[in-house]
Amino acid sequence: MYKAEVRGPLILGNKDYHQITSDIIAPIDNKTPGWWKVALAISLTMASFGIFALYYTVRYGLGTWAVNNSVAWGWEIINFVWWIGIGHAGTAFSIFLLILRQKWRTSINRAAEAMTVFAVGCAAIFPAIHMGRVWLAFYIFPYPNTRGPLWVNFNSPLFWDFIAISAYLLISASFWYFGMVPDFASIRDRAKTKLKKAIYGFLAFGWTGSTKEWLRYEGLSYVLGGIAAVLVVSVHSIVSTDFASSVIPGWHSTLFPPYFVVGAIFSGFGMVMTLMIVIRKYYHLEDYVTDSHLNAIAKILVFISLIMGTAYATEVFIAWYSGNPYEMFTFFHNRITGDYSFMFWAMVTCNAIIPQLMWSKKIRSNITALFIISLIINVGMWYERFNIVVTSLSKDYLPSSWTSYSPTWVEIGIYIGTIGIFTTGVLFFFRFVPMIAISEVKSVLKPTEITEKH
Amino acid sequence: MSNTHIIGIFDSKSDLLAGIEGAQSKNFNIDEIYTPYPVMEAIDALKRKSRFTTAAFIYGAAAVVGVLSFLYWTSVIDWPINYGGKPTNAFPSFIIITLVLTILTITIMSLFTFSIRARIYPGKKYILPDERATDDKFVILFNKATAGGGFEAVSNALIASGASEVYEKEL
Repeated sequence: MYKAEVRGPLILGNKDYHQITSDIIAPIDNKTPGWWKVALAISLTMASFGIFALYYTVRYGLGTWAVNNSVAWGWEIINFVWWIGIGHAGTAFSIFLLILRQKWRTSINRAAEAMTVFAVGCAAIFPAIHMGRVWLAFYIFPYPNTRGPLWVNFNSPLFWDFIAISAYLLISASFWYFGMVPDFASIRDRAKTKLKKAIYGFLAFGWTGSTKEWLRYEGLSYVLGGIAAVLVVSVHSIVSTDFASSVIPGWHSTLFPPYFVVGAIFSGFGMVMTLMIVIRKYYHLEDYVTDSHLNAIAKILVFISLIMGTAYATEVFIAWYSGNPYEMFTFFHNRITGDYSFMFWAMVTCNAIIPQLMWSKKIRSNITALFIISLIINVGMWYERFNIVVTSLSKDYLPSSWTSYSPTWVEIGIYIGTIGIFTTGVLFFFRFVPMIAISEVKSVLKPTEITEKH
Repeated sequence: MSNTHIIGIFDSKSDLLAGIEGAQSKNFNIDEIYTPYPVMEAIDALKRKSRFTTAAFIYGAAAVVGVLSFLYWTSVIDWPINYGGKPTNAFPSFIIITLVLTILTITIMSLFTFSIRARIYPGKKYILPDERATDDKFVILFNKATAGGGFEAVSNALIASGASEVYEKEL
């Protein structure tokens, strides 16, 4: 039978186990690089601006935003869905590839999971602040109270969303953290200063690498992986149900759950690509994040991009085929043409057309091109959410209610702030945590290993 | 029981597996094996079994029953609300929230189970026979009192199987 080498070696450079530990821990052991400090200063400035915008919102109320009676959901929901989408790929990447036993995940899963945790944390800010009186956020918890006792509406997708995202944050954070425990032990046992030994010793939870521990560790990984795979699909399906269960033209569609899930994974994989290229370039980890890894992510992105293109075409076709004048108006006069046509065509270009360049092997092996395309995908996915949220709300059934929407500095500030919070988190991750799962990479060393004696 | 242990160090997984086989063929009792990454063959050699998945299933089943019962109680008994004549026991719309809460329950309970069964928790005092086990070495540990042989016999068996060093240590 004809056999082709699907993927090259997972780790280059004839490493041994000790070399792997040294290479991956090097960014933690070495001095803080200058670019890191500059990047942190920029991130903290952005985060501070965001925190000020949040304070301003709480102090003066939602009147500081441009949302109005028609466009009641603005940038906040766009950004919420955008961040949740990015957060999706980390766990999707890690878990689906774990369950499918794809060994190339080992170099990338740690950064993808970190990205998930920070992105979901950023996403959680938006629904909370959108409540207006954020100090009453505890009302959404189902607890026996003095108001009846009146229970929360367990049949509402908004409540499902709250529970699903809380569960997703917990499961992603624990999957990420427990994955790091053996690596923290590696750092602990190599630490030269008492302080470092104490800190990483605490974080390692007394890990020794005994068979008892590994057996339960594997059990935990597969249980969390198995249930989180279901959660990945259900979280974004629920987010889409927030929209689809309404009667707003452009939202009331059964296409939404798969469309949102795939879109989320698309933007997340785009962000994984961005991060892996940064890690590889600035920390010289090319032997671990190889061209073959980026090639594999690029192929997945091309495939998902085709699904996105199909989903966009399906939405437009169904709007026409349904014969519903409101649906047709939304798609043909308020998206493809009209005030927001730029957003629509930016979405199609960034998500369905430009990623097709990655069919070319030349593009897939050009790191700069991949980096730019990965950024374009994330911009495109932001435009997609803008399209969905704003166009449908701005012109619905009643022309007297039609209005346009553009954000205020406060809304832009909160968005910039979340980007700052995200990049701050990622920079701390780069500096203090092994960016690649050391123990997992060691487990896939064998196919390329030269130190094994046979 | 004596705290003196015999420690065999191996450089690779294949050597470790040969070492386990060598020790077991001479009926030496292995106390524990430490590896830098999970080695399923070593876990099997010590006949270690985990009921983690069974526990997770039980948590899930209990959560499904618990959540559905809770939803029934809140919606039908404690505070029924008439949504345009729809039935108060709106079972189909309970399914998604049940699924999500079940996943949340399994996650939390599994984390506790892992922490308790693997004895992994913050501030734990641990005993690691050789610090290189979390880096690049594979370690077999024998309790000298229960190993079933003296240091020399165990050492000879391990060296013959490919151990790079064997030594005694008080733990």
